[in-house]
Amino acid sequence: MNARDTVLSSIRSAAVPPSPAAEQVSHAGGTVDLLEHFFRMLTAVGGRGLVRRANESIVDLVTSLAEDEQGGVVVVPGRVAVAENGAVYVDASDLVARADIVRAEHLVLVVPAAALVPTMHEAVRLMPRGSACGWFLSGPSKTADIEQSLVVGAQGARTLHVIFDAG
Amino acid sequence: MSRTHPAAAAVFLRDSERAAWHDEALWFVRQKRDTATALPEWEALRDAGAALKAHAMGRLAELLETFETHATAAGVVVHWARDAAEHNAVVLDILRSAGATRVAKSKSMLTEECGLNPVLEASGIEVVDTDLGERIVQLAHEPPSHIVLPAIHWKKEEIGALFHRTMGTPAGESSPEALAAAARDHLRDALLHADAAITGANALVAETGGVVVCTNEGNADLGMHSAPLHIVCVGIEKIIATLDDLAVLLRILARSATGQPITAYTTHVAAPRPGARMHVVLVDNGRSARLADPEMRSALHCIRCGACLNSCPIYRRSGGHSYGYVIPGPIGAILAPAVDLKAHHDLAFASTLCGSCGDVCPVRIDIPAQLLAWRGRAAAAGALPAGYAALIRRFGAILADRRRFDRAGRWARQALRLIPSALLTGRWNPWTRASRTLPVVPRESFREWARREGRLK
Repeated sequence: MNARDTVLSSIRSAAVPPSPAAEQVSHAGGTVDLLEHFFRMLTAVGGRGLVRRANESIVDLVTSLAEDEQGGVVVVPGRVAVAENGAVYVDASDLVARADIVRAEHLVLVVPAAALVPTMHEAVRLMPRGSACGWFLSGPSKTADIEQSLVVGAQGARTLHVIFDAG
Repeated sequence: MSRTHPAAAAVFLRDSERAAWHDEALWFVRQKRDTATALPEWEALRDAGAALKAHAMGRLAELLETFETHATAAGVVVHWARDAAEHNAVVLDILRSAGATRVAKSKSMLTEECGLNPVLEASGIEVVDTDLGERIVQLAHEPPSHIVLPAIHWKKEEIGALFHRTMGTPAGESSPEALAAAARDHLRDALLHADAAITGANALVAETGGVVVCTNEGNADLGMHSAPLHIVCVGIEKIIATLDDLAVLLRILARSATGQPITAYTTHVAAPRPGARMHVVLVDNGRSARLADPEMRSALHCIRCGACLNSCPIYRRSGGHSYGYVIPGPIGAILAPAVDLKAHHDLAFASTLCGSCGDVCPVRIDIPAQLLAWRGRAAAAGALPAGYAALIRRFGAILADRRRFDRAGRWARQALRLIPSALLTGRWNPWTRASRTLPVVPRESFREWARREGRLK
């Protein structure tokens, strides 16, 4: 037998009894101010967030962010924002190259204001079907591998901004 | 590993200041975990975590086949490996066929388990471990001492000296910011110029054919999206059924590991990028045999968060290297005996059975019960040292007989009071030699007290 057949038959002969799928986990997500919660979590993970009003230009906003930063700024659309952990889902089909997501020194994620959900339970259901690649990004790159001291900008983006597009 | 856990731990504890520092560093991580898991639905999430893993194990063969079908349709090449040697041979073959000589590898406990790096290096392939903690221990020619925090046992001054020697950072530089900045340049260079990227996986999603990789540094992404070739090395037990299951997994993983609500990067990759190649190597290496062992099966549910390590009073005070197995701590102590009971039976005893590991496990693995069961199997297999086994039998006989237990208790209370403490705490006593004190001896037993008070019929 080849390796595939050996492994599969060995698993089948273990005869593990069937066990039901996990039940849905209910949570109190709907009772809190989601935007306030998202911004609090985003700040906690080292990111910064703002909301674009109808009369503001997105180009001006990004330019104002970029002025403070050295190195390249990459602006990408986010599909979903998750209040519980400050993460934004970005799909690779919205990027020129996948590597941009980590090569960028500074990331700006622009998310439709309506695409904010309480938890990961709702977020995974909004990932595009058949996606080749995508990310939940929660704040900039970081490490605490040296004596548990948090250092932001480990290998990927040094800063991460989330702009909610309410326009 | 020839040295037993108590012997290796005794060496670790010789530097008491360092041992205390190690203990505190891990307790700090445990406390961050406690804060992050203070969600009203936390226990329901643990239930769901346990359920989704038990569900996946009950459908393991079918889910792996579904994953393979989806991944293959998306242009991913799926390989199977029965054991470590076959895994290493498959990876080496893929790299050789591609003419790859420089490999950037992100964190993968599976490749540590299989001993991949030495095999590749012996074939002239340069491997750079790109997680900062992993790079530190790689430069020091050491294995990781923790599954999430590989260099938790290193002090910043020592890392500074190591980087000075290996990367040319200024002598005496020990600020984490400066050292991490130097590592950023060093690692980005390796990552952007690698011929191939090797990553592990935190999960395989059968429903999507996707590989999920979680990092904080972004090193796995830098590698897999830059190199023309991406190889995923993953154990078969990492499969989950659906994206709904992934949501649960991602909610419990980082909170349990580091106290973060989620890692900075959570990548779901189901197809190679245009012009690049992607391979997934599915590895058994003893997992299907473990699956056939109902009592110990649930150890395969482990999501490698490390919470049991950070919680364990023995791990925190003995260090990861004292376990002599690739995965240390309570979870390692129930995985290792299945690999080799004779060599690793000592790990089943590297626990006070306080239960803390089981209490923090986000997928509710009953680690204390399995530690106890492994002790029984070690004894039954005659793996315990002869003197130890005889002592346990004597104790067992006393504990099983109330009259003998009462008599032994009376004798011990008398003896401990009458014998001078200098004699009791001498070098001959292994209990006090390991810098432990003797308990204050009570005048009477609980039963004697109850009888005197007239509360015992």
